[in-house]
Amino acid sequence: MKKILTGLLTASLLTGGLVGCNNKLNVQPVSSIDTANAFNTSDDVHAALIGCYKGLQSTSLYGGDWQLMTDLLADNGDEMFVGTYSQPQQAQRKTLLYSNSFISSTWLSAYDVINRTNNVLANLSKLSTPAQQSSVEGEAKFIRSMVYFDLVRSFARDWNDGTPANNPGVPLVLTPTTSISEASSVKRNTVAEVYTQIITDLNTAESKLPASNGFFANKYAAAGLLARIYLQQSNFSAAAAAANRVISSNRFSLNPGYADNFVSNSSLLANTSEDIFALQFSAQSGTNDLNTFYSQNRRADVEIQPQFVKLFEAGDDRKNLYQPNANSTYYTTKYDVLYGNIKLIRLDEMYLIRAEANLRAGTQLGDTPVNDINVIRQRAQLAPLATVTLADILKERRLELAFEGFRLGDIKRNQQSAFDPLTNTTLAWNSPKLVFPIPLREINANPNLVQNPGY
Amino acid sequence: MRKIFTPILVVAALPVLAQTQAISGRITGTDGNPVPGATVVERGTTNGVTSDADGVFRLAVKPGATLVISSVGFTTQTVPVGSRSAVNVTLAASTTDLGEAVVVGYGTQTKADLTGSVAQLASKDVGNQPVQSFEQSIQGKAAGVFIENSSGKLGQGIKVRVRGVSSISGNAQPLYVVDGVPVVADNMSSTEAATNPIADINPNDIESISVLKDASSSAIYGSRATNGVVLITTKRGKAGATRFNLNVQGGYSEPTHKREFLNSQEYVTLLTEALVNSGRSATSNANRLKTYAGGATDPLTYNTNWQDQVFQKAPFQQYDLNASGGNEKTRFYFSGQYSDQKGILISNEYKRIAARFNLDHQATDRLSFGINMTATRSVNNRVPNDDAFSTPMQIVALAPITPSIDPRTGLTSGALDLNTGLPNATFPFYYNPLLNIQGGSYTTTIYRLLGNVYGQLKLTNDLNFRSELGTDVLNQNEEQYLGRITSRNSGPTNGFGFNAAQTNAKVVVNNYFTYKKMLAEQHALEFTLGTSYESGRLNGNSVTGTQFASDAYRTIDNASQITAGTSYTTSYALVSYFARGSYAFAGKYLVGASARIDGSSRFGANNRYGVFPAASVGWLISEESFLKDNPTLSLLKLRASAGKTGNQNFGNFASRSLFSGDAGYVGVPGQRPSQLGNNDLTWETTVQYDAGVEYGFFGGRISGEVDVYRKNTTGLLLSQPVPGTSGFASRNSNVGSLRNQGIEFSLTTRNIVGDFNWTTSANAAINRNKILDLSGPDILGSFLNRAQAGQPLGEFIGPEYAGVNPDNGDALYYLNTTNADGTLNRGTTNDINLAANVPIGNPNPLWTGGITNTFSYKGFDLAVTLVGVFGNQIFDGGAQYYSVGFNNGPDNQTRDQLNRWQKPGDITNVPKAVYLGGNGIGNSSRFVQNGDYGRLRSVVLGYNLPSALARKAYFQTARIFVQGYNLLTFTKYTGWDPEVSSDYVTGTGNNTQNNISQGITFYTAPQARTYTVGINLGF
Repeated sequence: MKKILTGLLTASLLTGGLVGCNNKLNVQPVSSIDTANAFNTSDDVHAALIGCYKGLQSTSLYGGDWQLMTDLLADNGDEMFVGTYSQPQQAQRKTLLYSNSFISSTWLSAYDVINRTNNVLANLSKLSTPAQQSSVEGEAKFIRSMVYFDLVRSFARDWNDGTPANNPGVPLVLTPTTSISEASSVKRNTVAEVYTQIITDLNTAESKLPASNGFFANKYAAAGLLARIYLQQSNFSAAAAAANRVISSNRFSLNPGYADNFVSNSSLLANTSEDIFALQFSAQSGTNDLNTFYSQNRRADVEIQPQFVKLFEAGDDRKNLYQPNANSTYYTTKYDVLYGNIKLIRLDEMYLIRAEANLRAGTQLGDTPVNDINVIRQRAQLAPLATVTLADILKERRLELAFEGFRLGDIKRNQQSAFDPLTNTTLAWNSPKLVFPIPLREINANPNLVQNPGY
Repeated sequence: MRKIFTPILVVAALPVLAQTQAISGRITGTDGNPVPGATVVERGTTNGVTSDADGVFRLAVKPGATLVISSVGFTTQTVPVGSRSAVNVTLAASTTDLGEAVVVGYGTQTKADLTGSVAQLASKDVGNQPVQSFEQSIQGKAAGVFIENSSGKLGQGIKVRVRGVSSISGNAQPLYVVDGVPVVADNMSSTEAATNPIADINPNDIESISVLKDASSSAIYGSRATNGVVLITTKRGKAGATRFNLNVQGGYSEPTHKREFLNSQEYVTLLTEALVNSGRSATSNANRLKTYAGGATDPLTYNTNWQDQVFQKAPFQQYDLNASGGNEKTRFYFSGQYSDQKGILISNEYKRIAARFNLDHQATDRLSFGINMTATRSVNNRVPNDDAFSTPMQIVALAPITPSIDPRTGLTSGALDLNTGLPNATFPFYYNPLLNIQGGSYTTTIYRLLGNVYGQLKLTNDLNFRSELGTDVLNQNEEQYLGRITSRNSGPTNGFGFNAAQTNAKVVVNNYFTYKKMLAEQHALEFTLGTSYESGRLNGNSVTGTQFASDAYRTIDNASQITAGTSYTTSYALVSYFARGSYAFAGKYLVGASARIDGSSRFGANNRYGVFPAASVGWLISEESFLKDNPTLSLLKLRASAGKTGNQNFGNFASRSLFSGDAGYVGVPGQRPSQLGNNDLTWETTVQYDAGVEYGFFGGRISGEVDVYRKNTTGLLLSQPVPGTSGFASRNSNVGSLRNQGIEFSLTTRNIVGDFNWTTSANAAINRNKILDLSGPDILGSFLNRAQAGQPLGEFIGPEYAGVNPDNGDALYYLNTTNADGTLNRGTTNDINLAANVPIGNPNPLWTGGITNTFSYKGFDLAVTLVGVFGNQIFDGGAQYYSVGFNNGPDNQTRDQLNRWQKPGDITNVPKAVYLGGNGIGNSSRFVQNGDYGRLRSVVLGYNLPSALARKAYFQTARIFVQGYNLLTFTKYTGWDPEVSSDYVTGTGNNTQNNISQGITFYTAPQARTYTVGINLGF
């Protein structure tokens, strides 16, 4: 009897543990969900689209580091990075290391956003209405194009430098990643292929996007970006036409004061009538790294040099955004708003593009170059010009869009040079040192990628 | 009162007394001194007592009983009582007690029967040391167990590596099991720097520690055994009079070493030279110095030693009180501790209040049950991570010519401008970490309840069943506040607050049978068979807020703006079956086998269950007739084992493709792909072979063990880098393999025995780690650390520094590229980008060891422990800022920079000083140094009052002691301290880079040197 009892007890204790064990092992994630459940509804696709905007907001992308790094790399003495971070310091010195962690983060974040857009584009059919499908496709393609354009500008030779059809650009990845295989080790597409893709996508986006879409991308954001891209390609007639589509829509207007684009009484900076596309920030969403690095109230890492401040004509209202401290060191107040929106495409840029493109193409689409430039000048409380030269336009552009991430693209297409006064280094517009290195981590992970010359 | 009750008790006890005989006796050592605290047990029962301070015991036993008398450090003796009423016993001192019980997985084995490699430590190895966690105390005391305290910060993560690192991406810490419960050992710090959950265990409660090193001992823990298993057994009560123990100690700590930086004179000289070399004008240079010097025209007005501003002489105090005792039926151990240690960095502190309650009860002849429970509260005032501008150690970057008090305001340099309320963004040139100490705090408070209840049923004389239900609940609250004064670093938000709460809780159920049988006096059989279920759940949330009415309000409820909030929940389950059998023939031929089947929720349904078998053999040669009673060779045992273990220390959902809903954008909900999955993911598998010899000479005067092992790990679960163009940086997959192999030696000699006793215990271990295959790209760690096939894990791989060009002072690097003819191009370049990345240093020690000498004479005892770590290199991550002759900014420089190149023809290793010139700042072998060190880890000198004297003061025992910890360090390393691992690169749990990023120092605080005096009283 005792033995039977013992045996029974033994058996039950051993098997008791087994019952339901397999169920116990089916533990499901709570904080995240399986990818298989990510695109069940129309709302899911919308949420994934919002995730793309969130991606743009990353500090490694348009949250500030990309603008900062390219501006410092292109700088010819307008600003000086004095902070302790060595990554921007390398850009300022024009001696980028392929291990520069800002650059590898930019690469990773950029392709992260691209994968997010690819996920959205692969699931358009789950959206409820054709109107939604059209708008979401346009937004995703706008975002993807924007990232590809800045990738190809940063990591490859300029469109005007050599033969775009032969120069390696960046890999074009247009489908969502579901697994890693041999095919994931992509090669670099040519610069021309990347531009072709961007332009195709943006044309689709411009046609499919609504004219008004809150603070999300609309039709004119796509047109504005196209204008910028055509300008980079020196395709002046197309640039003027695209800029003109934005201006002539009459949906946007310049703010009375230039500072209205940057200054606010609170820790937030709203979109204005001048904004065509801006990244939104709040205390709860995103970190404005331009604020972190530029603002005198923050790290105060970027000192604006007298060379730049002297460029302003007397009475130029825009100069008020450059203020000296007690030691007579100038800082820009463009990014003093802690959670300020980052203005990526504004109407003033469209006037500048239209003016430059018309002048260089010898056309007067929309208006004359001098009139367009005077629109900008008058807003800056400067006297209008009677005639305008290319140099005038480029100077207005430099002052109007200073420290907003335009410099590297501009010096390359205008074949100007970068200069580091500290090391007395002058680099021609087509110097390999003015191209980002393909990050070490990426070369390491993908043997099919060819490094840029000089790294 | 007592007299009234005695007769009643006697009457009540009569039926028992009728069957027993009362005995008493005295236990002494061979030197004639009494042995207090020896355990006297009636064989085959749980009936036992402990000897008192005079070695005296009293016990009632059944007629014909046999006593088993044991004590740590003595050979266990078995004494038949016969008809005697007085049993005096002389115990022989021993260090290789074959009869000694060794705690192993789900049971105990005698040392003689053990066929695995187990390192054992006792309470004397871990008690009463001025450290936060017991791992620090066993450094250098167990062969093959490498322990590294990351820095002199308190309560930080401690690296424990049993026989090397067997994982690249997974956690490589051993499994900690306290009284049968695998405990929560996850780092739960919200910062990148790890904290140590093991520090919640009061080291003074520990009775013994077994470190299971080889597969035969550890495989019974299956998928969690690869990194070794640390079994901790806490103290239990013994039948006998209630004994109280009071320990009080106090002392102070200071840094082991300070680094030499330039003084004002040297700073001005070298900086001026660097500024001139960069082409700056004399006027601008003078202005710069004036700015740095707080406006003083003479830049030499101040000479601030900034390092001294953040180090302090830190007090330490600790109080322990425990009580233990009981009777044959019920035994208890209670303890309480209060410990308060200040850090060598100002504002750093670790406090612990711990209570323990262990109780065992024999309900019937067959049934016993008990409880082990500890409750702990620890409070850690932390300092920022090594890479934070606000961390105290980064103060060394400030110029010595900068005053610590700004003469213009009378406030700490860099304090808020009283007029504007804004921080001074340019003075000092970097954020002054002192401001963070004045206005910031980061406090981690942990409440922990850890324990189990067990029941044990004797089914037959040979068969026992034990059931354990354990739980470990860790509640952690982290509160951070950064006041206005810190706003240059933390942002102009009128205060910044952060509050995180986490609960990490687990439940463990173990049920197992143990069968022990001796057949025909020759065949000893032992079997264990059981099941285990474990589930754990971590959930937490955190809130960040800004805009506080004033710095007097420091908690989130006073934040006007909530800027971030998050929460997370994750869980796992583990279902296991395990078995072990051992067979000994004639006490000399030993065979053992074990297996565990683990099912884990962490892995895909395809690969959810794993089997982990092990087998071992042993031969106790000294029991053979030809060696038995040999006067010279008293012990010789050979053993060998092989087995398979696993490692599943990964994220709970490592195999899944996941989306996360954390991609909302200014209040609009959003989602994003967050992880790329792998359905075939499973554990890492390690096959380990071990062979060992245990030896003893001259009756145990010389004894020790030698083990050789090889651990081959395959199916490494790598967070493998994938092309970033996929949208992901990495993916978990089972690829790659690595190997650890090594030799371990331990040797104990009792050099002098008698009135004066001198014992030496030494151990040394050599481990060679090599990555055999990664099946993919190298995995980059921090700085130059890398996982590369053919190299040890974490090898520094980077440009090789070639010194300075004597012609122009440029830093040079070897090209190390391959020529067309296949030879190595040893040409040099001044462009670091052109230099090939080659192996330039190994952060893994080639060998580690320790020697402990103990001396005793009359009432005096002295224990001296030396530890050593040899053959490793350290990469100085901060050198690119402070050892580069101002080439990377105005940071104060180490004094070795005075040897810079100055004019053509100068032969030196320090390149030309050019302000912001970038000359030689790239990470290269220039910043790699040998990290070998020997260290006088601890010296304890104690004096035991003669018991007669102690008794006069109503004490059973009284001991006073002084102790020094980290008294001396012998090293050629020029940094702060060679025992170093920068917190922010190794901290985050389950981070790919953790195991790779070894041997990094980055403004890392040196270890503490501590002096204490204390007293132990027993009554």
